[in-house]
Amino acid sequence: MKETILRGLEQAYNNLIQMGADFLPRVLVMAIIIVLGLVVAFVLKYISRAVLGLTGIDRASEQAGASRILRTAHLPTMSVLLSRSIFWITWFAFVLIGFSALGIAGLQDQISRLLHFLPDLFVGMLILFLGAIMANFLSRAALLAAVNAGHPSPRILSWSIRFVVWILAISMTLEELGVARQTVIAAFSIIFGALMLGLAIAFGLGGQELARKSLERYLGNANEEKDKEPQPL
Amino acid sequence: MAEDTFLSDDLLRQLMGVGEVDLLVGISSHSNADKTRNDLDAIERTFQQNFTRQRAVIVIVSGGDKTVEDPTASSSGNGTEKRLHSARPTALRTVHRVTADFVLPPSPGVALRTILAAADLLRARGCAVVSPATTTLTPDWIAHLLCPVFQDQYDFVAPLYTRHKFQGLLARNLLYPMSRAVFGCKIRELYSDEWGFSGRLASVCLNEDVWHEEHIGTRPEAWMAISAISSDFRCCQTFLGPKLQSTTGSQADIVEIFRQTVGNLFWCMESQQSAWLDSPRSVAVQTFGPDHELTSEPMELNRHRIFEMFRSGATELEPILSEVLDPDTHAGIKSIVLLDEEKFSFPSQLWVRTVYDFAASYHHGVISRDHLVQALAPLYRGVTLSFLLEHSGSTSAEMEAVTEGLCIEFERQLPYLREKWKAKVEVTS
Repeated sequence: MKETILRGLEQAYNNLIQMGADFLPRVLVMAIIIVLGLVVAFVLKYISRAVLGLTGIDRASEQAGASRILRTAHLPTMSVLLSRSIFWITWFAFVLIGFSALGIAGLQDQISRLLHFLPDLFVGMLILFLGAIMANFLSRAALLAAVNAGHPSPRILSWSIRFVVWILAISMTLEELGVARQTVIAAFSIIFGALMLGLAIAFGLGGQELARKSLERYLGNANEEKDKEPQPL
Repeated sequence: MAEDTFLSDDLLRQLMGVGEVDLLVGISSHSNADKTRNDLDAIERTFQQNFTRQRAVIVIVSGGDKTVEDPTASSSGNGTEKRLHSARPTALRTVHRVTADFVLPPSPGVALRTILAAADLLRARGCAVVSPATTTLTPDWIAHLLCPVFQDQYDFVAPLYTRHKFQGLLARNLLYPMSRAVFGCKIRELYSDEWGFSGRLASVCLNEDVWHEEHIGTRPEAWMAISAISSDFRCCQTFLGPKLQSTTGSQADIVEIFRQTVGNLFWCMESQQSAWLDSPRSVAVQTFGPDHELTSEPMELNRHRIFEMFRSGATELEPILSEVLDPDTHAGIKSIVLLDEEKFSFPSQLWVRTVYDFAASYHHGVISRDHLVQALAPLYRGVTLSFLLEHSGSTSAEMEAVTEGLCIEFERQLPYLREKWKAKVEVTS
């Protein structure tokens, strides 16, 4: 009895030693991969920052209104943000590869799923970011055009455009991520359709006079009141 | 040569047929055949009356319409030249006509480049560009543009016109004082439809690598003037007389004019920054004829509408203005928005600072450049109203004194612009 117990303990001890002997090199491999990834990520970060600096992306970002969004979110400049993103994406990929080197069966499946999801997540974030830039640019263009045309409520027009572009961008992002795909499409169709119908009814019924004036202006029958500014040149 | 790449074979053949000339006048053909014919007659009469012994050519830049063929069809010879017959003093030389045909109407930039290339190839000494839109083109006008170049060796001749006292307020309150302060040259009509230039200046401008630029495409004349000033060419201005033009304009016109002139001036400041950023410049400008001439017929203006456009613009555009303007300048704008219409005044110091903040923001690309230029239009309406209220009963001399004061204010605050212009450049570099 005693001998059996001792043999079992010895067997368990040997197995533990064997497992440790098998596992430790994998941990070492993982650590090496992670450290190597850190070095590679740092190198890529500095190279990308230098290249982005040369391309003048910060200036383009200022002009497109993207920098304003970044400032609002307390984020750094576009070149710094992109180079940092490259750093973290690279290192994160190396960390995942390192963990997969451990050879733990359940963990490998999860890592594989996460790796497959990463491109969608990246594309989703990109869509959202481009949507934010477009919303900012188009709403500002609408605001300026409305102000210079003497439109009575330029901010409402500007905010409407911003809202529509944001709704579109969010719907596209959720669809890309595969989150409640059917629900998102249905919700977007309902919101967008209702908004347009509401505007059409409001404009047609509530603003008959405004509609008439707008059409007259569009068709070139505007009253002469607007032509009362001195010729600037 | 640069022109080899874009001049058509047909145009080159015509130019080779002409040989060398002394004088060249360029004009874009008008869709109105009668108008084009009248303009061409006026140009020919100029040569007939004022340049009898000189070799001359008219370069017609045509945009796919055939109206220019009618006048030359009746000419003798090969269709590109015409011997003039008149009872009055007659030219002793052949006046050639050369037509540059484009499939579509060319932009003013393309038309000017073609004219410059022709001037360069024909070794013209004196050149002028006239606009088909001008309804009051006379032989005297063209002679006044050509004589300073041909006889007095000037390189750039800007026109001066008789104007209504409230016409050209953008030129009076922004374009002239700012260009004068920045480039040190007192040319009043930097943006004009007619101007004269030497063959030397034509060659220099032709070889500049700017012809792809959008601003050159729409209004190349100011760039040409500023290039002349920056390269120490001799500049002058000459009085032409009254120019028929509507004294009032629509809001859409004003925004488009802002794009073409203010946007263009800011772009010129950036592309020629080496000429003004580090050293003050002062170029003497001779004026032939009166310096200015103003008329004061009654003009129907809707001042309340202008005030409302200013006030709503300054209020609604607050998020944009806060990005573009210095906090002190923005506070100043916000304070004048609160004034009553009858007591409204836009102080010149504040206006100069506003314009300089816009110019620096344009340079640093704070927001889209097109948006930035559009955002200045409502504030210009404030200056317009202030000017209208202040000068409803002013004489020409009083108005000139105020304009001179504004020019001095622009010059006084130039160090502020230089500082703001350089600030971010140093950070990013």
